[in-house]
Amino acid sequence: MVTLYRRLPRVEYVQPKTIEELLALRAQYAGKGALLAGGTDLMPKLKRREIEAPGCLIDLKGIPDLAYISNAEGDGLRIGALATLRAIETSALIQATYGILSQTASSMASVQIRNRGTVAGNLCNAVPSADTAPPLLALDATAKLMSQKGERIVPLDDFFIGPNKTVLSDDELLVEIQVPRVLPHSRGVYLKLTQRSSMELAVVGVAVMVSARNGVCENIKIALGAVAPTPMRAKRAEAVLRGQHFSEELIEHTARTAAEESRPIDDHRATQEYRRDMVEVLVKRAVIETISP
Amino acid sequence: MKQITVTVNGTVYELQVKSWATLLDMIRDDLGLTGTKEGCGLGECGACTVIMDGKTVNACLVLAPEADGKEIITIEGLSRGGQFHPVQEAFMEQGGIQCGFCTPGMILSTKALLDENPNPTDEEIRRDMAGNFCRCTGYTKIFESIKAAVRKGDT
Amino acid sequence: MEFSVIGKHVPRVDAPEKVTGQARYAADYSLPGMLWCKVHRSPYAHARILHVDTSRAQRLPGVKAVVTGKDFHGWSWGWMPETRDEPPLAVEKARYLYEAVAAVAAIDEDIAEEACDLITVDYEELPGVYDPEEALQDGAPLVHEGREKNISIEYHWNFGDVEKAFAESHIIREDRFCTSRATKGYVEPPAALAYYDPAGYITIWPAKQSPYFHYRHLAACFKLPLNRVRVIQPFIGGGFGGTKNDSVAGDFCAVLLSKMTGKPVKFVYTQEEELTTSRRRHSMIVYNKMGAKRDGTLTAVQTRVIADGGAYTAIGPLTMYLAGFATTLPYKLPTYKYDAYRVFTNTPIGAAMRGHGITHTRFACEIQMEMIAEELGIDPVQMRLRNAIDNPKPGTMYETINKVTLKTCGIKEALNTVAAHPLWRDKDKAPQRRDNISWGVGLSGTAYLGGARQRGHQSCGAIVRICEDGTVNLLTGATDCGQGSDTVLCMIAAEELGVRLKDIAIKRVDTAYTPCDPGSYGSRVTILAGQATQMAAADAKRQLVRSAAETWEVNPEDIEIKEGVVFVTTDAQKSMPFSKLARIACYSGSGAVIIGTGYSGYGVEPLDFDTGMGNGGTSYSFTAQLARVGVDMETGKVQVTDFVIAHDGGRPLNPLGAEGQNEGGAIQGLGQTIYENFIMDKGKTLNPTFLDYKMPRTTDVPDIQVIDIITDDPDGPFGAKEASEGSIVSTPPAVVSAIHDATGIWFTELPITPEKIVKALKEKGDKKGHGSVREAKRMKERQET
Ligand SMILES: Cc1cc2nc3c(=O)[nH]c(=O)nc-3n(C[C@H](O)[C@H](O)[C@H](O)COP(=O)(O)OP(=O)(O)OC[C@H]3O[C@@H](n4cnc5c(N)ncnc54)[C@H](O)[C@@H]3O)c2cc1C
Ligand code: FES
Ligand code: FES
Repeated sequence: MVTLYRRLPRVEYVQPKTIEELLALRAQYAGKGALLAGGTDLMPKLKRREIEAPGCLIDLKGIPDLAYISNAEGDGLRIGALATLRAIETSALIQATYGILSQTASSMASVQIRNRGTVAGNLCNAVPSADTAPPLLALDATAKLMSQKGERIVPLDDFFIGPNKTVLSDDELLVEIQVPRVLPHSRGVYLKLTQRSSMELAVVGVAVMVSARNGVCENIKIALGAVAPTPMRAKRAEAVLRGQHFSEELIEHTARTAAEESRPIDDHRATQEYRRDMVEVLVKRAVIETISP
Repeated sequence: MKQITVTVNGTVYELQVKSWATLLDMIRDDLGLTGTKEGCGLGECGACTVIMDGKTVNACLVLAPEADGKEIITIEGLSRGGQFHPVQEAFMEQGGIQCGFCTPGMILSTKALLDENPNPTDEEIRRDMAGNFCRCTGYTKIFESIKAAVRKGDT
Repeated sequence: MEFSVIGKHVPRVDAPEKVTGQARYAADYSLPGMLWCKVHRSPYAHARILHVDTSRAQRLPGVKAVVTGKDFHGWSWGWMPETRDEPPLAVEKARYLYEAVAAVAAIDEDIAEEACDLITVDYEELPGVYDPEEALQDGAPLVHEGREKNISIEYHWNFGDVEKAFAESHIIREDRFCTSRATKGYVEPPAALAYYDPAGYITIWPAKQSPYFHYRHLAACFKLPLNRVRVIQPFIGGGFGGTKNDSVAGDFCAVLLSKMTGKPVKFVYTQEEELTTSRRRHSMIVYNKMGAKRDGTLTAVQTRVIADGGAYTAIGPLTMYLAGFATTLPYKLPTYKYDAYRVFTNTPIGAAMRGHGITHTRFACEIQMEMIAEELGIDPVQMRLRNAIDNPKPGTMYETINKVTLKTCGIKEALNTVAAHPLWRDKDKAPQRRDNISWGVGLSGTAYLGGARQRGHQSCGAIVRICEDGTVNLLTGATDCGQGSDTVLCMIAAEELGVRLKDIAIKRVDTAYTPCDPGSYGSRVTILAGQATQMAAADAKRQLVRSAAETWEVNPEDIEIKEGVVFVTTDAQKSMPFSKLARIACYSGSGAVIIGTGYSGYGVEPLDFDTGMGNGGTSYSFTAQLARVGVDMETGKVQVTDFVIAHDGGRPLNPLGAEGQNEGGAIQGLGQTIYENFIMDKGKTLNPTFLDYKMPRTTDVPDIQVIDIITDDPDGPFGAKEASEGSIVSTPPAVVSAIHDATGIWFTELPITPEKIVKALKEKGDKKGHGSVREAKRMKERQET
């Protein structure tokens, strides 16, 4: 039996005004309540009945001051749960110091979606192609999770556990994304491969952060999207370059290693083989771009 | 049912809405403002674009209760007292319209773009309008309309 | 000729309604007490329906009626009397995934959807067949019982002796081409509001680009005389053929549910329903064999087409006709053979779309001609010019081997125009490679028909009603689904009457008042409804002039009307405003009614499906196009930067509109060449969203330049031919040829995705050369002259 629905399923809607209230609701509804941030992932999924309808949508947007983007103590970036993709894209602070993030945000969806969609929602939705994940992984970001029981800080690398699966439990909230300070001589880039040039999910996404001095790769982080059940770090590939002098040969070796590390699948967007080949192409390009003058 | 207060095109409305109704449903069905279109219902076409608190959103992805306390502009709110908005004029003059189904969203996205960036480059126009899909025009005349609207803004 | 209105840059007549959000489309209509209809669909692509249980749905509070296939009492529809194989709701079998099986009407859409979920159907799943070549095999499952090898339509046409011509050719190529599974992709999904009133009249506001098809369908389905079916055409959110030229399950169900409940009933499909169940373009496999002399002169084409027809016949007979008949354009072809098979499969229905039929076979021929030119070492422009049909001298005609006749043909001028364009002329001056991007420029030269013929009633009609104040109402049965025909028709009426454009008002079709019209397809409207409008205006003008002649006591031949002024050519003293003449004419005697009528007279002889002989259209447009692309040689991503389109549309009556049509058609053509394709898995569409069915966005389109080639065809109003479909035919070969220029590879299967490019480049790297060129060089001494 098939019905192609135009309407949303019948759900309740609540808008708590404080985090405490929200966490209480979260605990109360347990698996039966879904957090609603920008709704740009949740609404289409509900309309297409890709997920079971929750009894209630718990809207975060009633809570004041969750949309912050700050670098208050100069010890790293803090992104509140309600910071939108558009805010990340246009924030002067981010453009100046974490350019890879604004560049990534601008590659996503449309202005309308970016006006609503949040970074936190992008991470919590946890699709393998989530664009903000690779740059945040490459930046060594952590997620601050909160529930009535308390807080915990989870490295983003441990946050994703499968397609649409994270370590978040039913009563938790991701309140903040924390990004450590970047060294002054490091640079990053996110390369997103798509068939068209906009309104596309990544066929392959590659983020690279490199700190280089005097032709030596002091540190490198490589993260990949859409080529494994979760966004992933390519740690073996990083090891190939870390501490070495950049050379074309080594960069190619790094790129090949990243491709080997990836675990893509065939789907209607691309074949496994193409995705793997493209990891190699994009990692190489990304490394070269970060070290080019 | 949820009670909400929302300002649409300058008028304040007190409405009872279903908690799972979208802003699009509210605008079209409760307020009868059918200028806002539904093309996909999934955020992919931009036909439902409205301006909410100064920013464009896909009305099909916003819940009606989320609009509580917000200020919304729909296509019906652009022309004042029989005077076309310069963006509307530009679309008419430059042929940026064929079937017209994408037009309300296109015009509102253009308005929001020019409010933020009165003199966009060709590249910026292409990037910022990507959420508004048009199947009829091939976009050439839409770009020309936007550039004509920029010129109208200059004078 | 000096025109007052024709050829001027004018905004669309419906622009004010469209920019203010006041233009109402089908889904914007509602009536008090209206119910919502929702369709329940089959989860199998091929299954026998054993039992439908609607009792639970019926019991749901708020549900007012439920219908199943049986409620239509065996009625089914199709494009020809012989092919009426499609029921409104599946009865015995579901033949494609999500085929409609039942429908409900409820007080709101939430309840309607919930009720649909409560309908249970027992199915016996049947083995399906999803590939047209497999469907042709012996033993393949049959989509329709008794239809051997799943053949829906087949044609076998012969023009001249191709065998002999091939034997005498210097070079022969045989290649397999394949076109994408594309769809119209309009933004407005199907929708309608229907009311079957207690007096036995149907009124419906449906999203139809050809309302009179629908009008006949409803009359037949509900066994009503035509005057009881009133189709009121809303604004239409894009058409492009197929679905909006036809009816959908929701239409019939809404009307039947309205009849059962006595209430107005509305449905709105989701875009996913549109993309998974509506009519698509056929995808075609084209086995093409082409022969040429050493100097590039074409000798023969033999084409075998296997088209994926999907589950029902729909307009398929015409598709296969068009795919075959136009191969003799725009190049002189001495011999030609065409074997066409449209094949049933358990997939959504293949039907018409902009560039109907022709885009597939022209793509194959264009690319094959380029391949031959390459092998012969002939420049692609010279290859085309050598074969292109000349523009017939005024008063003469060119006739092809299948008796297609042309009175004007601008292909040579178009080809010369684009060949002189800097993009082509200087293409070797710019470096071809920069970093990973390889640039390429490609060219095409194609033809399309205007004023398509069909069977049955094919005239367009128009009524010009003069109001007593000198303003005019124009009534036609033609539909503006966005292409701008309302504006062009008003321009034609204004020009012919001699009044200002703003004095003409047009409203949309209402079958209770407007004259019957076949519809908006086959680029008919400007040519045929245009002719009808011109005739109707001339008729009204004759009546007005007679009145002026009586008033002034002069000869009617000496009276002219121009830009709203009536005057006597032989007496400068005698002149009056048009409004005054209108008043005089309307108030003559006890009052008169000034109405002009007209209907188009072309296309009297019907299409000959058995032989493929004769005209498919009233006139033919010609297009030459350039495309410039950049191909990322590592990722395969293609960015198209420029299109130059030289189009012979006879004469652009509204240049702004004609340009917009060329641009829009080209971008749809671009989509089907490099982006758009339904990915299918056993009848299931895996990408039924705008994110994954990839149509061009603002970031993906080239800069487009349109150049008018003016030929003034004697068979069109003010010289016009068609302008809305030519560029969807010329774009795919131009882009494919540009990609070849960039990569050295001939791609024969659309769409050319990045992945295909990377794969082909890899293979090319392994073994030198490309493709399986079967090059048969005849050593036979020149038997030909
Ligand atoms: C047309 C279209 C195009 C898109 N293009 C892209 C693209 O290019 N790249 C891309 O990566 N994505 C894309 N997306 C997906 C989506 O827009 C992004 O993932 C967006 O960042 C989601 O954020 P949101 O605030 O809208 O999330 P929501 O939809 O509100 O939430 C998503 C999920 O996260 C949960 N959640 C949200 N916030 C929290 C929190 N603070 N704590 C715990 N759980 C939470 C929700 O319960 C839900 O399960 C696209 C979507 C659409 C409709
Ligand atoms: S209808 Fe909202 S984006 Fe398409
Ligand atoms: S004008 Fe038809 S979709 Fe844009």
